[in-house]
Amino acid sequence: MPTRCQTIGQLFSLSRSLLVAGCLVILGSLVQPVQAQKLSQVVLGVQPKMVKVYGAGGLQGLESYQSGFLVSAEGHVLTVWSYVLDTDLVTTVLDDGRRFQATLVGADPRLEIAVLKIDTEGLAFFDREAAVELRSGSRVLAFSNLYGIASGDEPASLLHGVVAARTTLAARRGAFQTPYKGPVYILDAITNNPGAPGGVLTNQQGQLAGLLGKELRDSRTNTWLNFAIPMSELNSSIDDIIAGKTRPRSEDPDAQRPDQPHSLARLGLVMVPELLSKTPPFVDAIRRGSVAEKAGLRADDLVLFVADRLIPSCQALRQELGFIDRIDEVRLVVQRGEDLLEIVLPGQP
Amino acid sequence: MTHLKRLTLAFLCLLLWTRSGMGQPAEATLEQLEEQVIRQATDSVAPSVIRIETIGGLEKVGEVLLSDGPTTGLAVSEDGYILSSAFNFVGQPTSILVTTPSGKRAAAQIVARDRSRMLVLLKANSDETFPVAPLVPRDQLQVGQWSIALGRTLARDSVNVSVGIVSATNRIWGKAIQTDSKISPANYGGPLIDIQGRVIGILVPLSPQGQGNELAGADWYDSGIGFAIPLVEILPYLDQLKAGQDLHAGILGVTLKGKDIYADPPVVAAVQPKSPAAEAGIKPADKIIQINGHAISRHAQLKHALGPLYAGDEIQLVIMREGTQIETTATLTDKLTAFEQPFLGILPLRGADAVTVRHVYADSPAAAAGLQAGDRITAVGDQQPGSADELRIQLANYEIGDEVSLTISRQGAEQQLKATLGQLPVEIPDSLPAASVAGAEEDPQKPATGKVEIKLPEEQNECTAYVPDSYHSDVAHGLVVWLHAPGAYNVDQQIMAWKSACESQQLILLAPSAADPDRWDPSEVDVLRTMIEEVLASYNIDRSRVVVMGHQAGASIAYLLAFAHRDLVRGLVPTDAAMPRVTAVKPNDPVERLSIYSITPRDSRLKTAIEARLKQLEQMKYPLQRVEIASPQGRLNADERGRLLRWIDSLDML
Repeated sequence: MPTRCQTIGQLFSLSRSLLVAGCLVILGSLVQPVQAQKLSQVVLGVQPKMVKVYGAGGLQGLESYQSGFLVSAEGHVLTVWSYVLDTDLVTTVLDDGRRFQATLVGADPRLEIAVLKIDTEGLAFFDREAAVELRSGSRVLAFSNLYGIASGDEPASLLHGVVAARTTLAARRGAFQTPYKGPVYILDAITNNPGAPGGVLTNQQGQLAGLLGKELRDSRTNTWLNFAIPMSELNSSIDDIIAGKTRPRSEDPDAQRPDQPHSLARLGLVMVPELLSKTPPFVDAIRRGSVAEKAGLRADDLVLFVADRLIPSCQALRQELGFIDRIDEVRLVVQRGEDLLEIVLPGQP
Repeated sequence: MTHLKRLTLAFLCLLLWTRSGMGQPAEATLEQLEEQVIRQATDSVAPSVIRIETIGGLEKVGEVLLSDGPTTGLAVSEDGYILSSAFNFVGQPTSILVTTPSGKRAAAQIVARDRSRMLVLLKANSDETFPVAPLVPRDQLQVGQWSIALGRTLARDSVNVSVGIVSATNRIWGKAIQTDSKISPANYGGPLIDIQGRVIGILVPLSPQGQGNELAGADWYDSGIGFAIPLVEILPYLDQLKAGQDLHAGILGVTLKGKDIYADPPVVAAVQPKSPAAEAGIKPADKIIQINGHAISRHAQLKHALGPLYAGDEIQLVIMREGTQIETTATLTDKLTAFEQPFLGILPLRGADAVTVRHVYADSPAAAAGLQAGDRITAVGDQQPGSADELRIQLANYEIGDEVSLTISRQGAEQQLKATLGQLPVEIPDSLPAASVAGAEEDPQKPATGKVEIKLPEEQNECTAYVPDSYHSDVAHGLVVWLHAPGAYNVDQQIMAWKSACESQQLILLAPSAADPDRWDPSEVDVLRTMIEEVLASYNIDRSRVVVMGHQAGASIAYLLAFAHRDLVRGLVPTDAAMPRVTAVKPNDPVERLSIYSITPRDSRLKTAIEARLKQLEQMKYPLQRVEIASPQGRLNADERGRLLRWIDSLDML
């Protein structure tokens, strides 16, 4: 065995053939005791847990199918809550081609998930307790019945990719038309296609990581988003659904609005006239004696942030103030010439 | 085993080794090892990947809804210079903010732009030291190697990652590396890196057709086709960019013979006066055989060799002239002086074997030189034109005011004449003699005439052509494409109006309708091209008389069609419409001619806008006719119509 190399440079400087031979030996000796499976075996292990779900739809570009996967030995199937389930007759087809009528156990509209139950036992299933957490760069597998292409006993379609980012959908208010605002894995595999929602996201070892989300368009960039919801966000809700506990209805984002929010007028801020839909939030004038004047704001300041939220337009500034209670302070970052200044407008009891 | 695989394996081994040395269990598959190496590469470059936020600016450019979310840039020098994609700033934001290495925000300004590769250089207003990632030389890149695309848009404290491979190392005329990593607004402006954490290039949307357009190629987002501009090729120009000088694509100024860029040899047809090529001493009929050491044998290779170069770059050329190799150098330019077509003053006879004079314009250089109808032009300088088309290209080597020597044959006797080229006339002759040598014999392959429906599968547009009954396959006909104004449209009326002109002037009328009769969509320009090509495939069309006419929104589409397909359209007749702002207008071209005949109703609301846009075209030296008419509906009276027809009939003037 060659001596231990400290740097790439040293490694490269070794004779090439010796190096390759040496590395193969090391790689071989280290990989030998490994328990991890080959990818093909991993896939074979996951496929029996996959379910094809058929229901309502089939008209006007609405597909009548989606994906799901087994999460209990008693035949509980996790899938997404969608119009496909909006029928008394939901049919599921298992990996081995067996067909079952499914009953809807319950749904959580906030997470847009549903649990179905089929009347059979002894099926392979994902152990939710053993779900893994992923991070940016993790290599993943996505199993789903993308475009409904698999039927009968054909296995689900497999995509591979990496977790592009772990982030939250709520990070940018108004960017996404979805009730779920929590953490997601953004994927670089193209899962945003009909049939894929309800599919499973696993790591390279086939361990459960998340549920492939519904088709979602990022309204700000006009691009489609490929994402999955981590199992840790779903588990308690799934437990409740299976236990028969009712879940709260979808949260109304407007419910977060305070009764008496801040307003530009009360703060003493006059913004430039809104001639464009994205008029930059420049301060046109400051009312004498107002909160804004005392805090040091000036005409021609450009408002960049409220709290930590980027404010791209006058309209966005007005909206954002509507979410802050009048008794709370408003933290602004403004641009004055080349300088960025932090300015705090105190709350008004 | 390839060198590349060997390196990757060595790298994996190294990692495995360090890990096992650290006392961790070595239960890892190759996939896990790859994941670790990818993560290590990502982590090492991540500090140079800068989050950019913009405030204000446009919401939409054309049909494209712009992002107001964060975008990405790459720090390229420690003092806070950041390269990014021009796509990220197409909305012309009021203010640009970058997140500094310490996590603070700082204002940033656009310092300069690379208008060839669609990059933008920013300078952050910050004293912090920006980490700069190492580079990978372009010649070390191999198709199939790992490529990792990074952006900083989805989360603030970590980069977003997409893993793929290098798909091609030389794309978009040599400007870009292609990758199958998922490239989208989520990482435009960020780096594409290799598995060792070295920067391959800056991610940008690009399209082979969309030169100079920030949005071109963005519709390919996440498709498996993504592009990165090799950073090693930008850094030599970084000082120039830092000094605020924009970079432009380099232009040589030659037109080549032939149309098939993948087959025809790069033989010079015309050298534009005062261009870099002219200064380098390149002459018509020279064959370009080498640029900067790269052997060139076809048009496409020349385009590849010039594609990555900037205005101001000096290039080494080797040309072949009459069997001798000549070496020369040229300094590329960003803009050629607008080409103003020189005028000899004749119309050629159509369908003739040689250049035979059909008509000599009164008071023209040709008239002054003594040319007469029926003369055959056998040589211009030392070049022998075999056809009117060749003569047109040969004349493009001259400027207005140049003296040309002509050899002509008159009634079998050769004569030498001298003519001083002048400007194109504004006057249209009151009458013109017959244009072509008619095919006297029976037409054995006569295609369908009269009203002919042209079917395009997959397209909703209906398309009717009118071919005069007098059509003969030996006689090249002009093609008039009529694009109706939105609303109810009667194609038969249009045919009635054109029928006699089609017979007498040897024209075919093509009258398509918009897919939605009430509006034209800019995307229909490509459908129209397909329709025109259908006609070209079935009929003998005189390529010098392909004219696109349109009324109101139909005229806007006519503008887009004419300027997008300069190789096809020679005449443009817009009625009551100003040129759309999105029209990609290039300066007048010596070979791909385009003449414009703008018709404006006297009381048109658009009069000012039409005139403002025509002035731009005039500055770019396009041959231009302005016509004011009385009819608010844009209908021409008999005189106005006759004049338009004579203009079409004289589009092949020389």
